[in-house]
Amino acid sequence: MLLNLTDLSEESLQSQISRQIRAKVLAGELAAGEALPSIRALARDTRVSVITVQRGYEDLEREGLIQSRRGKGFFVAELRADRKKEMARRRLKDQLQPVVRAAVAEGLTADEIMAAVTSLVTRRT
Amino acid sequence: MTKAFSLIEVVKTYPGFQLGPLNLELEPGTVLGYIGPNASGKTTTFHCMAGITRPRSGKIEVFGCEASPHVPKWRLDIGYVGDIHAFYEGWTGEANLAFRSRFYPNWSQARAVDLAKRFDLPLDVKAGTLSTGNRVKLSLVAALAHSPKLLLLDEPTSGLDPVVRREVLDTLFEALEGGERAIFYATHILSDIGRLADSLAFLRAGRITQVSAKDDLLDKWRSISFRYSGSGPKIAGAEVHESEGTSHRVISSDQARTMGQLQAMGAENIESARMTIDDIAVQILKGGQNVAGD
Repeated sequence: MLLNLTDLSEESLQSQISRQIRAKVLAGELAAGEALPSIRALARDTRVSVITVQRGYEDLEREGLIQSRRGKGFFVAELRADRKKEMARRRLKDQLQPVVRAAVAEGLTADEIMAAVTSLVTRRT
Repeated sequence: MTKAFSLIEVVKTYPGFQLGPLNLELEPGTVLGYIGPNASGKTTTFHCMAGITRPRSGKIEVFGCEASPHVPKWRLDIGYVGDIHAFYEGWTGEANLAFRSRFYPNWSQARAVDLAKRFDLPLDVKAGTLSTGNRVKLSLVAALAHSPKLLLLDEPTSGLDPVVRREVLDTLFEALEGGERAIFYATHILSDIGRLADSLAFLRAGRITQVSAKDDLLDKWRSISFRYSGSGPKIAGAEVHESEGTSHRVISSDQARTMGQLQAMGAENIESARMTIDDIAVQILKGGQNVAGD
């Protein structure tokens, strides 16, 4: 599994790990039932300490995105499509909150904010 | 579960210096960084653990086996790279390794040769003529060739160039993958093991002042700037506090408390930045100087 981790970020390594794996799961790049690399193997590949990877996996487990099976490691959990979408929606809202709040404080209207978001979405597709 | 090692009330004294009493332990499969300035007692700790010197009192166990001069079995589980690279100077690296192999039932000559190749170390040269960097490499090969369960590494990358340094760290990551091995790594250059270490023990003047999970330190410490027009606020969690007029900057060892207080007292333009593990370590070793607004 390819992750792209950096020390030069405001985001902790643990959260970079969970965020990047989460994105793979929500995008369907990692299928339900698929095995994740062992904590130690991922630690070695990404040059990150074992406990950092472990904590990243625990975050994902708490969110219900992955499950541990005793003695067998971690697997992508079975998620219904609507539940996946709901998670993506909630995460988007969480991340937009501070951005939108700042935009409002700087005087942008709801329509102007919507237009900016729409242009970002259409540019990507 | 059996600890990779435990130090229980270990004391070693020299004229004018006392190490300990040290209490410290390490879980198998993890890496503990040992951080302290020169002459704080890191090397003495390793000497006690590797059996080079005997502590005055206290108990040392390695994978459940007590370090005792009468039963030297504990030493077989240790790979030590220290300040002293003891080789027969007139022998080649290869001959030195062959000599050492006789003391270790688990020794793998294939592994030794493979490591030497990875570190770009010539084995057909007399130890006495090796450069400083190559002597360190030979020590590393000698310490790793019997696949020890506990690695005691005392500044193992000093004198190595960045490429070999990287190769050494890669070797250590691989050594850990089995899940049982543990590494105790002394350094004052934290960036070397910033990513590798699971936890850090800080040593100052012979005493361990703090043992913390590295990720907890990275989560809690922040450099925080803000504006506040009131006079002389005492900021919770601040280890260092500088101010210039209404501008303040604190280094906080507990960002949640600091941010909570700043918001409650109505500080403005609050900006919080993560700190590198090096910067955090420096603050911990300095022990903080809480200079409230001057």
